[in-house]
Amino acid sequence: MKSGSPESRNPLASALEMMIRQLLQHQRSHGYAFVQDIKRTSQDLLQVEEGSVYPAFQRMLKAGSAKPRWEASTSGRRVRTHERTARGTKHVDWEISNLEQMLTGIRLARASVQS
Amino acid sequence: MTWIPRLFRRRRIDRDLSDEIRGHLDEKVEELVARGVPFQEAVHQARREFGNVAVIEQEARDTWAWRWVEDFLSDLRFALRQLRKSPAFTTAGTLTLAVGIGANTAVFSVVNAVMLRPLPFHQPARLVSVSPRSDSGPAGHDAVSYPNFFDIRDENGVFDHVVSYRSTALSLTGFGEPVQLRGEIVSWDIFPLLDIQPILGRGFEAHDEEPEARTAIVSHALWTTKLGGDAGVVGRTINLDREPYLVVGIAPQGFNFPVGGEQVQIWTPLAIDARSATEQPVTRQRAAGMVSMMGRLRDGVSIQRAQAQMDRVATALADRYPNENRRWPGIYLQPALEELGGASRAPLLFLLGAVGLLLLLACANLANLLLSRTAERQREFALRLAIGAARSRIIRQVIAESLALASIGSIAGVVLAAFLVRLAVPLAGTSLPRIAQASVDQEVLLFALALTVATSVLCSLAPAVRLLRDGLHDPLKESAHVNLHGRDRLGSALVVVQIALGLMLVSGAGLLTAAFVHATRRDPGFQPERLLTFNILVPNAHYPRARQLVFYDQLLERLSTIPGARSAALAMPLPLTGSSMSMAFNIADRPSPPYARPASNMAIVSPGFFSTAGIPLLQGRGFTERDDVNSLPTLIVNRAFADTFFPGESAVGKRIEPGATSDARGTQMREIVGVVGNARQLPLGSQPDAIYYLPYRQLPWCCPSVVVRAAASPASLESAVRAVVSSLDRQLPLFDVRTGDQIRSVGVTPATFPMLLLVSFAAIGLMLTSVGLYGILSYGVVKRRREIGIRVALGASRRAVLSMVLRQAAILVAAGLIIGVAGTVATRRFIRAIVFGVDTGDAGLLVAAMSVVVLAALLATYLPARRAASIDPTLALRSE
Repeated sequence: MKSGSPESRNPLASALEMMIRQLLQHQRSHGYAFVQDIKRTSQDLLQVEEGSVYPAFQRMLKAGSAKPRWEASTSGRRVRTHERTARGTKHVDWEISNLEQMLTGIRLARASVQS
Repeated sequence: MTWIPRLFRRRRIDRDLSDEIRGHLDEKVEELVARGVPFQEAVHQARREFGNVAVIEQEARDTWAWRWVEDFLSDLRFALRQLRKSPAFTTAGTLTLAVGIGANTAVFSVVNAVMLRPLPFHQPARLVSVSPRSDSGPAGHDAVSYPNFFDIRDENGVFDHVVSYRSTALSLTGFGEPVQLRGEIVSWDIFPLLDIQPILGRGFEAHDEEPEARTAIVSHALWTTKLGGDAGVVGRTINLDREPYLVVGIAPQGFNFPVGGEQVQIWTPLAIDARSATEQPVTRQRAAGMVSMMGRLRDGVSIQRAQAQMDRVATALADRYPNENRRWPGIYLQPALEELGGASRAPLLFLLGAVGLLLLLACANLANLLLSRTAERQREFALRLAIGAARSRIIRQVIAESLALASIGSIAGVVLAAFLVRLAVPLAGTSLPRIAQASVDQEVLLFALALTVATSVLCSLAPAVRLLRDGLHDPLKESAHVNLHGRDRLGSALVVVQIALGLMLVSGAGLLTAAFVHATRRDPGFQPERLLTFNILVPNAHYPRARQLVFYDQLLERLSTIPGARSAALAMPLPLTGSSMSMAFNIADRPSPPYARPASNMAIVSPGFFSTAGIPLLQGRGFTERDDVNSLPTLIVNRAFADTFFPGESAVGKRIEPGATSDARGTQMREIVGVVGNARQLPLGSQPDAIYYLPYRQLPWCCPSVVVRAAASPASLESAVRAVVSSLDRQLPLFDVRTGDQIRSVGVTPATFPMLLLVSFAAIGLMLTSVGLYGILSYGVVKRRREIGIRVALGASRRAVLSMVLRQAAILVAAGLIIGVAGTVATRRFIRAIVFGVDTGDAGLLVAAMSVVVLAALLATYLPARRAASIDPTLALRSE
């Protein structure tokens, strides 16, 4: 019952993970702040349950692409923040190139069908 | 085992996760409240937008892949908690399984000791038993003659060693009281064959087989006890049968060969059989089957290849010596372990099957208990399903519960098995080889473990099926009394199976008991009551034939004048002891070549034997003192012999020529002078065997067994008998002193053991069946309380209610009986393998077994039926 790579999971979950990794590039963040960020950046198009970021966090934690830390938030609340690791960065690069390849492929295929 | 530290690390991870999620919710609520949302509303909204906290938390935890370990542990913990909460259920379940697993483990430990445990030698799988394969009859039981053995040994190209062995008795004198030793006459390379080194001295060498050589190796036990444990014994001589033997070695402690029999005390090479007394030594008689053989396969030689080579050897021997060897044109090779357990195979497998049925019964009971529990807990399960538990999770919970139960049960069962083994092993006596070594060891524990797992899975099946099937509708919505009819198909099916299994056990036990009673009550053809028997071996070296006859005359005369003794006689072998001699003979009227001659049991007796043993003379005359070497050669046959070989005519006056050599003159044509009643030689055979008796004075060898008929208690004569023997020869040990009744009961021991076990299994099985039936019926009554209440309120009589419950029981019992009868008929074949002389199709026994089951069922039905009939409608209706 070993967990597979994130790619083998359902696409929505891995998309969410990708987004999390992407967002973590700029700053470390904690779960709640994160959800707000996602809602904002996706202009509320992405309707996910707020809670679903937590399984994603755990998967990243296990894969070693994020590192958690308990600290005080700006509002003085004790929160757990997550930071992207070097491994996580590499993973994101690989993931994006993968995705781009796939998108290119889909575009080409559509073009050939339409012509 | 990295998962143990991970397990502890996991605690922290889980705590962090929970804290994190709680923080998230708090923060959201705070923000919403800050925006002016009322607190209660904010809490709800936060939760709604977050999603199912429990499911998400679970999913996050699942990331850590080894969830199943935790799940399993938490399931077990939960199961144990649940079990603690219902002690009655737990006790019932544990006891049921303890009995089922205990009985199985006990029987398996016997099977393991007798049939499975490897022989205690180097590379035991390479050891094979080698025996002549006859044209007819079962293979692997015939003995081989010395000359044939020598030829097989010389021409062998497939064995490292092939040895001969036969048992004997030897008297040891010069160390206090004379004692009779259990000896084994072997070919010289027995120790190299087994790869055993004597702890002192040496093994036998090839020259020890030369006719004049007298060497011996003694067992460790004999050395430490009788011989005083002195290392100086090696290299000295001891007197065996009053001849000096050189002790060349001491066998290691615990060594025994042949395996499975009683402990052999002394081994000596076959030189002793090369001695010629009056006739030709047996080492030169090709027709005298005397020894068993065992070989060790050469490296790289398969048993098939060895078989092919041995068959070639046997064919050549049959061609070269047609008269002696025509009967066995082949050789039968069999792994030594298989040969050892061979005869016990059928009864043991039968017992294993019976005890397996018992476990199935116990499982059915437990399944039924679990089933009622799941029914009671349906709301709990439904609730868990509703809050997001997976169905598989709940089924796993049920399995965990029965596994917990089975584990407790099997611990109790193993303890029970250890007791049972101690209790039951002495009952088996020596009827099963190596049974004394039966113990609860590692293999047995593994077996118990496997049983536990299998049992818990089996027991969970029914509840799991119920959960899967009932899952379609939501039981939360269902009120407790929707299942108005209380018809519990799964549970009923289990009870039907139980009744069927119960009937099979009871009828099996009935058959075996009937057979046993039949065997013990059967007329043995003589009067064993008030008989005292014992053996003495008069050493040939000291007693030439003439002196032997004088000795026997004196012995019989003094024995018959003991106060309390009526008469005394000699015989070889005694009836009912299970030992038999068989010899081919030629009929004067219908002569045939040696290989085509009929054979029959034979015995050699003194003149007073028939009257002393109580065998009636039916025709002609008995033997007299005048039937000696100087008179006409005679013999007496039993009625079975006369009926078999001379049907429809009088056997008296007919002449036959047995293959026994009388003396230097060789075989002789003998006249039948009398016909006697059928005295059984074999205790458990179904038909009386044909046998012919020879007068001991006309043969050069006879008779180790003495029978004395007492006026009163035969056992009280023992000391007087010992005094008589010692007055004749102080160095002659008396052995195997037994009363006729003892011989009789020892003879049926092989049947006692399986019978007692099967009867107790059947009793337990019947109890389990009754408990199962009782359970399902009373559960039905409880479930139908309301319905019955309504019926009574509407005017149903107690009688009607009673008959309703009885009808339900009757349907179950009838269905079970039908299946059970079919099962009994189907398994009759196996029962036949161990039942002797009883027509296993006996319909009366089956009817009796059915009545027993019905009676037990009635008892089990009574209480629930009475409870149903006494339901108070007002209470019943108000209760919900």
